Amino acid sequence: MNAAGDTNQTGTAGEGAGLDPREAARILEQTKRQARRQFDPQSVLAAVAGAGVFLFGYGAVWWSMRDQNVYSGPAGWSLAVLYGLIAVSAIVGGVALSRANAGVSGRARRQRQAQAAAIAAAGIGAWVVEGALRYRGVSFEIVYGVYGPTVPLIALAAAAAGIAAMRESWLQLGVCIAIIAVASVSTFFGPLGAWGLTGLGCCLVLLVYASALVARRRRA
Amino acid sequence: MTANTLEPLDPLIHVPARLRILVTLAALNEGDTLSFTRLQNMLDLTPGNLITHLRKLEDARYIGTSKTGNGVAALTSVALTRHGRAALDAYTEALRDLLGELAK
Repeated sequence: MNAAGDTNQTGTAGEGAGLDPREAARILEQTKRQARRQFDPQSVLAAVAGAGVFLFGYGAVWWSMRDQNVYSGPAGWSLAVLYGLIAVSAIVGGVALSRANAGVSGRARRQRQAQAAAIAAAGIGAWVVEGALRYRGVSFEIVYGVYGPTVPLIALAAAAAGIAAMRESWLQLGVCIAIIAVASVSTFFGPLGAWGLTGLGCCLVLLVYASALVARRRRA
Repeated sequence: MTANTLEPLDPLIHVPARLRILVTLAALNEGDTLSFTRLQNMLDLTPGNLITHLRKLEDARYIGTSKTGNGVAALTSVALTRHGRAALDAYTEALRDLLGELAK
């Protein structure tokens, strides 16, 4: 043990003899609930921050392009808003994850590293393909207007869905599938639809997810 | 409550602090370990108190501890063993039966 200190609170043999079984059951249930909550990496705040990225970040890009008759790309300020919000959201999510996993090691740590590698590979792969499409002469409108806001998101959500399924985290799996569905369908509506519908749809999905997390914690 | 009534309950687990330690460790996946510091923070126990309870649980092979590093940088991790998980399951089952009988 790396800690030393008072030992005068030490229990003695037969110390639990006075513990009522009803009290023991209460302690057991309460501790189980608290432990599950503290180890749970799913954060309401991170979900709301993600919803903010879609509503205000994707919304800003959509807003800057809404009057374009011929696609000329989003305004610089809107991309700054989008990337700024993505950075804030990543920090919020990272803090929630590191709080939940603080002090936990062993198999969980190895799994987290493998999961992060899978998600990174999915995202990088999708962005490399985006570059390849442009390199092969596909139009800006398709590459940055339609592919950019949807396909990397679909790839990331698909990787996250696989991880959620493996962990039997059905709520997270549902969120990932809903994001994939929204992003896929929005590609039919061109650049404005891709940014606007993906932004609005994914924002709603994440707000429903945040509400479900709150409701689940209240029930527990 | 007579001692006879509580007989099916494992006396080593039937202590608030040790019950909370085992239930907290059982919330982790099998093969995971928890640092002494995080466990202490979660349970709000003093280091000395926690060490004493952990020693008793370790003696019964309900938990395993491992230490990495030396001196002040040493880090102790705690994990529930398969034997400990089975004992907690048996305790939970016995407690459920007992409460069922008391309710009759």
